[in-house]
Order: sequence, then C-alpha cells, then structure tokens
Amino acid sequence: MAAIALRGIVKRFGDLVAVDGVDLELEGGLIVGLIGENGAGKSTLANIAFGALAPDEGTVERNGVVGLVHQHFQLVERLSVWENVLLGREPRKGWRLDVAAARARVRELGERYGLHVDPDAIVETLPIGLKQRVELLRELEREPAILLLDEPTAVLAPGEIESFFTTIVTLAKRGVAILVVTHKLAEVIAYTSRVNVMRAGKIVARYVTAQTTTAELARAMVGGEIPPLTQRTVLPRQVLPVVHVQGLQANTESDSIDGVDLVVQAGEILGIAGVEGNGQTALADALAGLVPYEGTIRFRDEDLGPALGPRGRIVRGMQIIPQDRQHEALVLDWTVTENAILGRERNREFRRGPQIDRAAARAFAQTIVERFDVRPPRVDARVRDLSGGNQQKIVVGRVLAGEPTFVLAYQPTRGIDVGAAALVQSRLIEARNAGTAILLISFGLDEIFALADRVVVLYRGKIAGEFGRDAFDRARIGALMAGAS
Amino acid sequence: MLVAGVNPVDGFSALLIGALGNVPETAETLVQTTSLLFPALGIALAFRAGLFNIGAEGQLLIGGLLAGVIGERFIAPGFIAIPLLLLAGAVGGGVWGALAGWLRSRFSANEVIATLMLNYVAIQVAAYAITGPLKSAAGEGNETGELPASSWLPTILPDTRLTIALVLAVALALFLRWMLRSTVAGYQLRAVGDAPRAAQRAGIDLAKMRFWTMTFSGAIAGFGGATIVLGVLHRFNLALSPGYGFIGIAVALVGELDPIWVTVAAFVFGILQNGAIGMQAAADVPRDVVTAIEGLIILVLAGRRIITRSGAD
Repeated sequence: MAAIALRGIVKRFGDLVAVDGVDLELEGGLIVGLIGENGAGKSTLANIAFGALAPDEGTVERNGVVGLVHQHFQLVERLSVWENVLLGREPRKGWRLDVAAARARVRELGERYGLHVDPDAIVETLPIGLKQRVELLRELEREPAILLLDEPTAVLAPGEIESFFTTIVTLAKRGVAILVVTHKLAEVIAYTSRVNVMRAGKIVARYVTAQTTTAELARAMVGGEIPPLTQRTVLPRQVLPVVHVQGLQANTESDSIDGVDLVVQAGEILGIAGVEGNGQTALADALAGLVPYEGTIRFRDEDLGPALGPRGRIVRGMQIIPQDRQHEALVLDWTVTENAILGRERNREFRRGPQIDRAAARAFAQTIVERFDVRPPRVDARVRDLSGGNQQKIVVGRVLAGEPTFVLAYQPTRGIDVGAAALVQSRLIEARNAGTAILLISFGLDEIFALADRVVVLYRGKIAGEFGRDAFDRARIGALMAGAS
Repeated sequence: MLVAGVNPVDGFSALLIGALGNVPETAETLVQTTSLLFPALGIALAFRAGLFNIGAEGQLLIGGLLAGVIGERFIAPGFIAIPLLLLAGAVGGGVWGALAGWLRSRFSANEVIATLMLNYVAIQVAAYAITGPLKSAAGEGNETGELPASSWLPTILPDTRLTIALVLAVALALFLRWMLRSTVAGYQLRAVGDAPRAAQRAGIDLAKMRFWTMTFSGAIAGFGGATIVLGVLHRFNLALSPGYGFIGIAVALVGELDPIWVTVAAFVFGILQNGAIGMQAAADVPRDVVTAIEGLIILVLAGRRIITRSGAD
C-alpha cells in the first residue's frame, strides 16, 4: 500500500495550470526525487500532497501523517529550539508549560535521528545548517509516515548537505516515505531510488535512478538539449586591476566582512565561493556603495569613497546584478520597457527635455529582448507576468547593454530554469571575453567552477583561501567553506 | 440614514438637490471640490512615492496662515499680490512638508507619525501667530483681518465663491499626470514608491527624492490653503479647513492616486460635503451622517493601503 497516493491532480491559478493531471505514489522506505525547472509545478504539487493547497481536480490519499520541510525555513527566529520544535504542541503541566519535558523531548528526538541541537539555543543565533535541523526536528516530532522536502539543501554547504542526506537515508530505512523536490541533479542521482521529472505541470518522465544520468535528467527537464556555454578566450594579462579592494570592513543586516582584500582584472571572472551569510551581502553592498565601509575600494586609478553612492559608481562603469531581482532590480508592476531603462533614465539617449523618450526606450528594450531571447518577446508586457528566468534576462541584459567596465553578479542564476541560466552564464563569459571585469558571488560551486577564472573562499567575513582555475579542488574549497583551516 | 430615522431615498435625493440642484449650489459644490482637490493631489503625489503624508491638514493650514498674515498687510495690484500670496502659501506648506521629509530622510522617522504630529504643531503655531506676534489691528480671536479686495481671487461665476482656484486645481492635476507619466522626475518618483530598493540600486537618491516629494506635496496643500484664504474667506481663520487635509486622503485613495481620477473623486466628495447641508435642511438628516460616511471610507481605504504595503515589505 502506498503511503501517499495522488491521482489525477489538477491545480489552476487563474489562467495558469500549475499542475496538470499528475499521478504520484510514494512508498514507505523509498526516497523519490521530483525534479523540474522553476515554475514546472513541483512546489505546488508538494503543497497539495501536504494539504496546504486543495487540488481543483483529483484525489490525495494519505496513510499517515505528512511532514513538509520548506525551502525557506518556517521558524520563529526569536524563540528557542524547543519552542520552535514543539510550537503548538507544547507539553503542559496543568496550565503551565512543562519546560523540562519539552527539553527532554527535543533531546530524545535529536538522539534518535542523530540531529543534535541545544534545545535552549535561540534559533536566530544558529548557523543555517542547524536551523535546517530544527526545521526537520519539528516535522519529525509529529512522527510522519511521509516526509516532503522542498529544495532542502538550497542554503547548505557541501558538507552540511552530506550530513543532511545521511539523516534522510536513515529515516527512509525506518520506513518513512520521502519525496525530495529539487533542481540539483547530482543530489537526485546520489540519494534517490526513483526520479520523476516535471515540466509545465506534468510528469513527463519517470526513471529508476540507477538507470539514468544527470545528462538525461537535464534533457528531460528542459525538453531538449542545453546549449553549451560560450568558450572563454585567453586574454593578455592587464597591469592595472579594475577593482582593487583593501582591508574592507562593512556590515549589513544579514552579514558582515572584516578585512577583505581582492583584485579583479579586466577580462577576468573572480568567483566568491561561500555559504550564504558569510559576508557576501556586505561585500556586494559595499562595492555598490549602499552601505558605509572602512578600507578602500579602488576603481581603476580612483579611490571610491563610501560617500560615493550607487549613482557615482554607475556613471563610472560599475554595474550590479543584485541578488534579489524582484525587489532590488525590477519594478514588477512596470513594463519591460520601463524596467529596461531603470538606471539610465537620466541619460541623454533616453530623454527629450524633461520627458522620457518613449520611442528610444522601447527600441532599447527591444534589443535586450532580442539579444536575451525574452519570452514572450513583448516590451509592453508587465514584468510581474514573466517567469523568473525571463525577469533575470532583463536584469542581466540591462547591466551588460552599456558594456560596463565592471559587473558585480550576485547569484545571477538564482532560482531560474536551466535554459535561462545557461544563457545568462554565456552572456557573462562573453562580457568577460570582451574585457569586462566580473565579480561573481554564488552559493553554488557548480556555477563558480563553470564561470570563474579564479575563486576565493569567503568564510565568516574573511578570505579563507584562493584558487586559480587550473587548481580548483571541490573537496578543498568545500572544506574551507565549512570553516576548515 | 435609517438609523437617523429617515428614508434613505429621500435623504440622498435631498443631498443631490442640495449639491447640484441650482447654479449657486453647484458653484458651492465646486468650491468644496477645489478645496479638497489641492490637498488630495499633494497627498496622491506623496503616496505615489511611497510616502504616507497624513499631514496635508497642517500643511494647508500653514499655507493659509502665510497667505493670510502677509495678505492682510500687503497692498498691491492683484496681478502682483495674488501670485505672490499663492506662492507664499506654497512656501508655507512646502516648509511644513519639508520638515516631515527631513525627519524621514535624516532620522528615518516614520512619516505617518511625523506628518500627523506636525498637524497639531501647525494648529498651535497658527493660533500663536495670529493672537501673538503677527496679530494685526483688524484681526480678532481666531482670524486675521480681511485681505484688501485687490488680493481676492477673481470669481468665474458672478455672485458665487467659485474662483479661478478651480481652474488652477484642474490644471495642476493635468500637470501632475503628465509629470508622473512622462517625465524623468515622475519616473524616478514612481520607482521610489513602487520598488525603493531597486530604485536605490539604480542610482536614485532615496533620501533626496523623499525629501523633495514631501516638500512639493506640502507645497500643493499649502497652495490650496492660500486659495481658501484668497478666494473663499478673504482672511485666514484657524478653522478654515473642516478637515480637507484628512478627507483629501480618502479622495486621493478613491482616485487610485491618478491625478485625473483624484479630480473626479474630489467632485464626488464635494457633492457629499455641500449636499450634506441641503440634506440636513430638507430631509432632517444630521450632516454628521455624511461625516461618518467619509470617515468610514477613509478608514477602509487607508487600512487597505497600509496593509498591502506592509504585506509587500
């Protein structure tokens, strides 16, 4: 008997059919993968299986409690670990909380599953890997027969990912039915026994994991071949660096850097490897002139002070691809045309006296749409209505259109589909080949290895190591990212 | 109205007849429309930049105060005095808006609280000014002396209080629509309102944009206050606004912050304002009923707006 059986599931959001007739069964003891591009309907399906969303058609049959671990942690940061794990199910002594019993319960769960966390630690003080444990403990506390994991490793370092899956495999051995929703093909190959591929709301292929390859899965996901990345060309070494950072210290709400030295040459992609929260945002915001900092940032032969804000940097030829395209790069309710000129609206080419030259703006947007294959190719489409990948094409297109001297690319392919990601990466390599200096901050080592000429590892706000392209060592870099010395 | 014991159909028809039944009443409705439209346009401009200017009442009052105290002393031909006094009103309201804008930009003070508090400060400042240092021989109690007739706004309908202020208000609405839709400044203002973090990264100076938007928003309300002094009362009175700056919030929101629709909404509210008097007389419905309706609209709309904003953050 299946632990959970979904039959003929259909889910619509307005005109969009997010899930379009899906059958899926999970059995106790098996880890099953569900892969697909962004917007393929994976998360919607997981939410239907969990019961957070009701299907428009079809049935869900659950034989046991279902647990769901979200991609974005659903934790109360200010509360302790035990308060989070037992939230809503706190043991009581009369009308009081039984704190001793609660601590004991969390410890016992930790022992049983090898997920050790101090029950009294406040969640916001924990590193990401431990937060993930708390999230998992909370679901396990309800003794689920079925566990759904939605992009569970998105924010974990390589070592943390391994230990996370060790736990998951243990759970499967105890008879829990497990579904891993992800777009990381390597994890699917390594840890699942079956894989389902979703595309445009349908399950388009089902494989026994042992009999398939990442290449085959990728083709099934995209529905065709992924174009190879642009080749990098060998460029003469420059004498003067484009960006020269010395002793940089800065703080943001999410992280900080404490004495970072960097050099980025023209025609070079410098990759910043590291787990999220180790100073990437502070580094990016300091370079972009968004936060005060100490230390120096030299751009070509000029010392840019912290007082020189984003505008001054943009006019000098520095461009950024922000991490959060929906809030930091785009105005979602505006059209493609309006978004295309954001940051250039004062330039003479786009203005007629006090007015914006609409025709010039449209023509400019049109070139981005064509060069980046934005779909639908309509410059008057509202950006909110485009997929994440197409939104990102507009952001990257806008950044590269002015042939910038320097580009800061912060997670440039975050959460976008494989096809769009390949296009964005190729365009970045082309810009590098044309002499642009690029600083690439990415939480994915695959992306860094694919693009970077050099990589430095950022750990707790400091540079933990540097590697040339011919010396990339995944194990060594992964260890430095996790704090090894 | 049912609660007040009146047939709602009778009540509403009395309201419409009271507002639009004849030429003098229609003119008076348009006077109310004008007085609402200026603060509403100022508010709409600020809201478009993501700034919740709840202080139009105070900005309007300070604008009126400046126009009044200068106006009663300043004797010059109309073509000099009128533009100058209207400008003084804009400067007064602008300074009051700028204060809130400065608090926001410099200290990240919440502009809702800053502008709201400045309303009370405005009342006290005005009361002090006209009873204390700026008291004139002709002024008494809550008001200044009358302005010389040469400084009154020309009427556009004889024997009514309807002046060219209406034309100026509608022209301002058209200008603001063009400004927001077609100009670089309007584009940047909307970017700051719709996606401040994206605007900042695109090189738009948020602090500067917010400061100037609050300043202009206040200037528009202050200009409106001056038109009431020059066109309606011909003097400054502490009670010159029965809450135009607050009703203006509802007008701006009903008009979806689009200057053209704000103008239409101001007309509808003008009917309510003026018709309430007729309704009270003809159908014996207390005009408080209209005030209550307006209050409800403000509550619902302002609530919705603030909720959607906090949701978006």
